[in-house]
This record gives sequence, structure tokens and C-alpha cells, in this order.
Amino acid sequence: MEFFRKTLDPVIALGAIAVLDIFLFLIVGAWTVGGGETMMTGLIAQLFMGDAIYRIPFWQEVFKPDAGYWKIYISLGMLFGAVVGAVASKEFFWRFPRRISEWVMITVGGLLMGIGIRLAFVCNVSTFFGLTPELNLGGYLSISGIIAGAWFGSLIYKRVLEG
Amino acid sequence: MSPVAQCLIAFVFGSVVGLLVQRSRFCNTAALRDAMLFKTFRNTKALLVAMMILTIGFTGFISVGAGNPMRFDVGINQVLGLFLFGTGMVLAGACTVSTWVKAGEGNFGAIWALLFTFIGMFLFSLVWSFLYWPPAPSAMTGELSLERLQLGFANAETLQDKTGIPAIIFGLLQAGVLLFIYQRIRKRERGQGGDAAASP
Repeated sequence: MEFFRKTLDPVIALGAIAVLDIFLFLIVGAWTVGGGETMMTGLIAQLFMGDAIYRIPFWQEVFKPDAGYWKIYISLGMLFGAVVGAVASKEFFWRFPRRISEWVMITVGGLLMGIGIRLAFVCNVSTFFGLTPELNLGGYLSISGIIAGAWFGSLIYKRVLEG
Repeated sequence: MSPVAQCLIAFVFGSVVGLLVQRSRFCNTAALRDAMLFKTFRNTKALLVAMMILTIGFTGFISVGAGNPMRFDVGINQVLGLFLFGTGMVLAGACTVSTWVKAGEGNFGAIWALLFTFIGMFLFSLVWSFLYWPPAPSAMTGELSLERLQLGFANAETLQDKTGIPAIIFGLLQAGVLLFIYQRIRKRERGQGGDAAASP
């Protein structure tokens, strides 16, 4: 099938995603990822801690672990869709970072993303595909933050690339 | 709508997104990083087109009272949080979407980034439980609060209510600004020549 042989133009892909996101906005709410990931964090923590998790006020007052939270299933769907696409196009294979510096950057980067999402209550997806198109003030604040952060991260990235 | 139906719709939506992102190699991190570092705009243009469609779609439906816009107070925490997030996504080489998509392609680095995103969220939940800031949804007032560094809540809906002008008018203005940026990028690419100018 041609679809799995050629790389799709990202403008067409994102255009299609935007149209679907409008339908999602009408049914449940705009596309977001950070909320679902937070709920998954709570559910994983609950697996290890049991009811002791409710002694941490955040998991009582902000995100009470709930496996029926619809945003979780967007992320699981993305994983599923990506596996299907990668397998069908023969692009699935295990890849591992090679250098120590890569492991360090990914670890620090992942931590910063997690802390940043929870501090802001939003992620990049809700910034660009939810809040800003809704003309929400939070979208403009988030865009200014993410552009400044990406610029700062690029400086570090460039320095590491140059060795 | 039942919670099961909501979860099912979310899963179908996510699956299509995962497939399209995997096949197109779109990456939000690259949309910002590549524009800044390498002056290439393949992903930036796609992001701008999506934002134009969404702005017109969302504000159009908000104008007639339809849709489910996000409602919560915003403040300095959005700037700080997304600054940390933006730095982190460039270092990790993936954002919230591409971590899931690359994980689905067998990229262990993306799985590692995802794991530490969860750890970062859990660590912040401990910090929040001492600070109680930013305010929990139940403590949000929708009003300006300087002591809590919160600006309140404003979106296309509140703009329409306060001005009496349909939200779609503001949406068209924003889409016009995004189109202007898109055209500037296309002009720059045409000036540079090569393959970049041939792409949409």
C-alpha cells in the first residue's frame, strides 16, 4: 500500500489531525496529552503505593487516580497507531541511544518535561492544538514560555553537538 | 455521553493521530528547534497550518455556543512551566506526541524519556503538596490575583461575551497572523531555492 511506502507530507497529516481535533472539541474537548500522562503517573504510583497515594494532597485535590479518564486513551491510541504504522511500513526496530551524553540529555529532558507540564497545567499539545486556537490567554503565555525554553534548550543542544 | 464512549472516541482519535504522525515524521520539537537552529521549516509550516484550521474551527463553533473549551485560571506558571518543558523537549529530542510515536517505532530513548516524564510529574506532585501552587482547580476564582501570580481566565468565549463581537472575528484575525507567518516562511524558502521551496 502506497500510504506505508512513502513519507506523508506533514502539512496534509497535520491538516487532517486538525479537522479531527475539531470534532473531538465538539464531543469531549480538544486534543491534549499532559493530562492523560499525569493520570497514568497517578495510576502507576497507586500500583506501588496503594491507598497511601491519597496522603499526598496533589493526588487527592488535583488528579485523583481514575482509569476511566478519557485523556489517557489518546496517548494509548497514539502508541497503538504508531506501532501499526511502523510495523506496516517495516520501520519498527529497536533503537538505543549510543552515547552517555544522549542518555543524560534524555533523562534530564524527560524530567523537565514532566515538571513543566505539571507546573503549567498544560503541555505543548494543549498549547498549540487547544488553548491558542481557543484564544485562551494561557495559550499565549505558554507559547512565550515554550519558545524561550526551546531556544535555551537549543543552545545547550548545540553545545553538546559541537562536543 | 458515557465515560466508556469518551474513552473509545479518545482511543480512535489517538490511533489516527499516531498513524499520521508516524507516517509524516511530524515532530513538534523539530518545528521549534529546527527553525531556530537550522532555519528549516518543514514541521513549522505543518504546525502553522494546523493552528489556522483549529483557530477558525474552534472560534466558529464557540461563536454559536458549541464545543468544549478548556476552562482554568492561568498565570506566570504557564510561562515558567512551558519554559522548562521547551528546554526539556529539545534535550530529550521529543515532545509529548513524539515520545509516544517514537516509542511505538521501538525507540528506547523515547521510552526512557516517557519514564522520566512520569517521574518528573510525580516529583512535582510532592512539591505541589507543600506549596499548593499553582492553585488547584477547586481553588481557582477566574479573577486576577497578584499574590497568587494568577491572571484569571480569558478565551474566545469571554471575548465574545465582553465585546459582543462574535468569536469567529477574533479567530479570523489570529488565523490571518498565522497565515502571514506561514507566507513569510514560504517566501524565505523560495529565496533559498532547492527542495524546501517545492514542498507545500
